[in-house]
Amino acid sequence: MKQKLRWKPWLYCVPALLLILIVIAFPIVYTGWISLTNMNLYHWADYQVIGLDNYVRALFKFDSGFLSALATTLVWTVFNMVIQIGAGFFIALGLNAPGLKLSRVYKTLLMVPWAVPAYISILLWRVGMFNTEFGILNKFLSVLGFDKVDFLASNAIAFISCMALNLWMALPFMISTIDGALQSVDTSLYESATLDGTGFWVRTWSITVPAVRPIIAPAAVMTTFITFKQFDIIYLLTQQRGYMTGATLNTVITYAHQNAFASNNYGLSSAVSMLLFVVIILFSILTNRSLRED
Amino acid sequence: MKKGIALLLALALCLGALAGCSQPQSQASDPVTGPSQGADSPDTPKDPVTVTVWHDGDEGIMQTIADQVNAQLADDQITVVFEKKTDMPNQLKLYGSDAANAPDLYFYAHDVLGTFVAMDILAPLSDVIDTSVLADHLSMTVEAGQIGGTQYLLPVYFETLVLLYNKALWEGDIPGTTEELYDYMVAHTDAAAGTYAVVNQHTGAYNVSPFIYGFGGYIIDEDGKPGLNDPKTIEAAEYNRKFGALQADGDYNTVTTLFNEGKAAAIIGGPWLVSGIEAAGIDYGVASLSDIKLPNGNGLAPFSGIQGVGVLKTALADKKDAVAKVLTAMASPEVGVDLANKSGCAPANNKSYDDPQVASNEMIAVIQKTASTARPMPNIPEMNAMWGPAEAMLTAINKNGADPAQAAADAQAAAEQAVADMQ
Repeated sequence: MKQKLRWKPWLYCVPALLLILIVIAFPIVYTGWISLTNMNLYHWADYQVIGLDNYVRALFKFDSGFLSALATTLVWTVFNMVIQIGAGFFIALGLNAPGLKLSRVYKTLLMVPWAVPAYISILLWRVGMFNTEFGILNKFLSVLGFDKVDFLASNAIAFISCMALNLWMALPFMISTIDGALQSVDTSLYESATLDGTGFWVRTWSITVPAVRPIIAPAAVMTTFITFKQFDIIYLLTQQRGYMTGATLNTVITYAHQNAFASNNYGLSSAVSMLLFVVIILFSILTNRSLRED
Repeated sequence: MKKGIALLLALALCLGALAGCSQPQSQASDPVTGPSQGADSPDTPKDPVTVTVWHDGDEGIMQTIADQVNAQLADDQITVVFEKKTDMPNQLKLYGSDAANAPDLYFYAHDVLGTFVAMDILAPLSDVIDTSVLADHLSMTVEAGQIGGTQYLLPVYFETLVLLYNKALWEGDIPGTTEELYDYMVAHTDAAAGTYAVVNQHTGAYNVSPFIYGFGGYIIDEDGKPGLNDPKTIEAAEYNRKFGALQADGDYNTVTTLFNEGKAAAIIGGPWLVSGIEAAGIDYGVASLSDIKLPNGNGLAPFSGIQGVGVLKTALADKKDAVAKVLTAMASPEVGVDLANKSGCAPANNKSYDDPQVASNEMIAVIQKTASTARPMPNIPEMNAMWGPAEAMLTAINKNGADPAQAAADAQAAAEQAVADMQ
């Protein structure tokens, strides 16, 4: 009987496991397989296994340029996450302020950036916001009598511009998560604290933050990975063919794309992808460990 | 009982998930030598055949071709259907050898031809038709469709860069030299006010090609050797910088909008801009870039792109005869005449120019004239890897103030690495 029970739960899980296998595990395993072959333009259908040659070549892609991109990625991730969590927290607190009218309308409006497809948002910001001729920011500057500013021209200003867009796109998720977490805080704790004569900051730091932290932690971890492996914002704002702006800003993913994916050598780019996969897994383990210790 | 049902459902889900993995029996036949529809006897009623063409171009142009070809092949019950695919070359890389999903033909510029031939997904035209149908085509367009002496692309029309100017804004004649053009730009550009004399995508390799090839430089040679650090290429890129400084941001949307809104008096572009310009109600004129001379005495020498149709190997199994008839129809002068009159495209078939309306079309006359100095884009696979480094070099020089020689050296190294990475 016990023997029977051991395999039965697995059997019930087979459909879900199969789905996970097809959607998640298969692409990784297939990429791993391609990375061991010479699949490229010249060997599209007749590719052969060539061992670890692609990995030897891929390691050369992890040069000083890659280290610089890795540093940029870390700075990018830290800045974005700190601002996202901080701003998200205070905006959510504001939306939950007692007596605030039309709070549901504000919450719905705040969801708009999240609902817009990323490519559309990026295009809107590139042309409608940052463009030197038609962008609204430069229109304002012109009205105020200042010179035009190219918001994507150099690394520092492009970093800030990309970050502004990323925050615009990502904040709604963080706000809604924190907003949900705030609903679960026992209001009697605030009443007691108020009777004890505490102020806003003490109540926030001693009651709200400890209460919402476990709830928003998974969302924060998830967003950290999304921010770490950011590609579309930086690529589409500054590097797309026909729209190179002059900024040489690179995250690890845009750097890998620039250096390994432009050549249609699928074996080599798969090897680079697998090494990046290892980097991201290491980053994930470190983040999870620090979260657990916390 | 409930457990039994649950197990049954789990099994059904598993089978359902894997149902799509079965191999359709019809795909088992040899894709190249499979039975040809043309083997039917003449008495057998013809079944309707649809020939699918993937493209990533202007839908109006494709409709013009489809209308003419379908009219010619109505009796044969053959219908051509153009399907627009965003980033078509990359989609064809994925599906080109997949008989179930690949199109029968593709329609695109000739510069990606080498890539598809290297992938071995295209059939030589001689496998389908007698290439004598190209006897009346302009030799430049025919040669651009060859790889290693084999014809893979049937040229339909060609395009190149010209100077389009707003007649209401341009003062005087179009200058005969680039130096005069520059002086005009200096006198008529007010960047702070957002008004420009001439705009161009000055960091795009295609749009800077008139300078590069006019100076005698090159982006990549026939042997696949990048030429970004060639002294002539560097000289051209450095010369282009002063023009770029007076041409706004230089991305496609910015420059076309500036021209269409009447904030730029002229734009360096091609016939693909005409529909937008006409929609904006601008009275425009066209001038050939080959008439504008560089300091070395050469005319500006832009790239030319030959738009044409290639045959996927997978189409030969079932539709060889239908494809042959479609190609023959596309090669006819009538397609060129319609394209010229309805869409302003310069036909590849020389006989199309016998039509009086085509002969009197200003845009087409200018494109034809520019063809004398225009260089067909390289069609070798390595060209695919060159756009990024070339554009990075021009961006560094024009927007970052980089030293041209250093930017060229960096771009050359990146290009050589990208070409090496292809193997």
